[in-house]
Amino acid sequence: MRKQDINRLSEYLWEIPATFRDDMRVPARLYASERLLEDALGDQSVDQLVNTATLPGLVQYALAMPDIHQGYGFPIGGVVASRADSGIISPGGVGFDINCGVRVLASNIDLEEIRPHLSVLASTLYQNCPSGVGKEGSLKLKDKDFEKLLHEGAKWALQKGYATPEDLARTEEGGCLKAADSGKVSKRAWERGIEQVGTLGAGNHFIEVDLIDEVYDEQAANAMGLYKGRIAVQIHCGSRGFGHQVCTDYVRDFQTASQKYGIKLPDRELICAPFHSPEGQAYYAAMCAAANYAFANRQVLAFHIRRSFEAVLAGKVRDWSLWQVYDIAHNMAKVEKHQVDGKTIEVVVHRKGATRAFGPGFEGLPPEYRIIGQPVLVPGSMGTASWVLVGTEESMRQTFGSTCHGAGRVMSRNEAKRTIRGEALRTELEKEGITIRAGSMPGLAEEAPQAYKDVDEVVKVVSGAGIARKVARLIPLAVIKG
Amino acid sequence: MADTPSLPAWEEIEHTADWALRVRGEDLRALFENAARGMVSLIGGEASPAGAVIHRTISLHAPDWEILLVDWLTELLYLIEDQRVVFTHIAVQRAADFRLDAEVTGRTNGRFDKYIKAVTYHNLVIRQTDKGYETVIVFDV
Repeated sequence: MRKQDINRLSEYLWEIPATFRDDMRVPARLYASERLLEDALGDQSVDQLVNTATLPGLVQYALAMPDIHQGYGFPIGGVVASRADSGIISPGGVGFDINCGVRVLASNIDLEEIRPHLSVLASTLYQNCPSGVGKEGSLKLKDKDFEKLLHEGAKWALQKGYATPEDLARTEEGGCLKAADSGKVSKRAWERGIEQVGTLGAGNHFIEVDLIDEVYDEQAANAMGLYKGRIAVQIHCGSRGFGHQVCTDYVRDFQTASQKYGIKLPDRELICAPFHSPEGQAYYAAMCAAANYAFANRQVLAFHIRRSFEAVLAGKVRDWSLWQVYDIAHNMAKVEKHQVDGKTIEVVVHRKGATRAFGPGFEGLPPEYRIIGQPVLVPGSMGTASWVLVGTEESMRQTFGSTCHGAGRVMSRNEAKRTIRGEALRTELEKEGITIRAGSMPGLAEEAPQAYKDVDEVVKVVSGAGIARKVARLIPLAVIKG
Repeated sequence: MADTPSLPAWEEIEHTADWALRVRGEDLRALFENAARGMVSLIGGEASPAGAVIHRTISLHAPDWEILLVDWLTELLYLIEDQRVVFTHIAVQRAADFRLDAEVTGRTNGRFDKYIKAVTYHNLVIRQTDKGYETVIVFDV
């Protein structure tokens, strides 16, 4: 892909016309600044975006957010909407970590109060929130209980005492996708999932204690309970081995389903089936079960985090409670209604490394958010800022109510591994005042801030393009990783 | 004329978000064996002296070679996650007619620095070359 193949539509919007390649069914659009476009052209991500434009049943455009980078099948940062009546669903388009997402909790604690306790707090969080490869959680669930969790997601956690009703109200879909069917998941997915509830995992997943260092929209920040100078906590993780297995199973099954339905694709990982086919519906029910798993998983982690705060800070700070700001998915296929060519139609929106960003007025939001729009949680890289944004009317018009999900990688893992040493990175971050607890030094090196794009530039683009609005910026104080 | 140096059985290649391996083999049996060894070397891992030695015979069948390759590597990933197996021996005995027979030995309860979520089909094609077979496998991490 060359820059001259891409037309500039506005300051932050670029388009590859559907005539660029014979197999494209719709144009491909990319949100980026000049600098981020150069980054995107540095790997295969824009070619992957063009590949997504070949999927059957797509409406309008295949989209990519400014944190686009090379993935497998879809680029990370990709968004497509396929007609629910005649389009497709793609397990590869959702990815292996189904409902990987972010939760933000906020507090009344200020920096001076927490500073003397940060090191102990970080160690307690590391101890109470199991992380790393195949790590088992502290919950020993029976099959019946696990089945309930898969059908009810965060509602299961509420019944078990791991959540408050306010947590659920401030979770995408209330933390429960009703189309879930545990009968559509394999025995192996079940076995992998049942032991890992309440675990963080490895890779780019983390828990972070942050300082709210800037507020850009007082009204929205007040509605969320985000106050400058106070402490917040982020959780980034997904559906663990359960989701990975669901995706593995269905990507394999769909290898033959695609042929059955005569769907030709440029990449086997884009494999798909008609949404209303038996295969499409089976995957959707299994994906919803995995999404519920992830909502429950982040909820149990939030419970462990609250207990850790209480154990370390009770009696030492005025108020150690943590309330939920929001919980949002960034790897998911959702059935939603959107305006296309002046008509409201039902579409299956695939967001792969992209966040739902519904604007003001959306009925699924709790009353306090209906006027400001849905909170969007955008974690930065370790050591850099993270952002809280809100969805806008413009995101509903331009991007099927979607926006960016993070900073986006720019350096390969191989290069990061060659050039960065985990121990040295930890020392460097600790010098900057960031407490690190990590199970793996090579793993830490691959997630170094240098390996990521500038998250502030990504947020500048989405806010400049109008597909999200800035609310608050968070900076890291302690990072807990697998 | 001096012999050209032989190409490595596997090598890591650049990928922004994930890991990618180029794997070669003089025949399909060797390709499948090298793919497994390459993936295991990417993950690393430290064996636990307290872990139990396990031995598994793996037999798989798939509609084509690429699906068989993903199935084979996925099977090993499952053992790594489920029992934290650090492999000490991987041998593919047969790869013919879209069937694979292999034997693996390892020790359970190992410690791992890296994690692979899944083996992907991204642009996965097994190609015949003048020296045997070659493919590139992308892993989701």
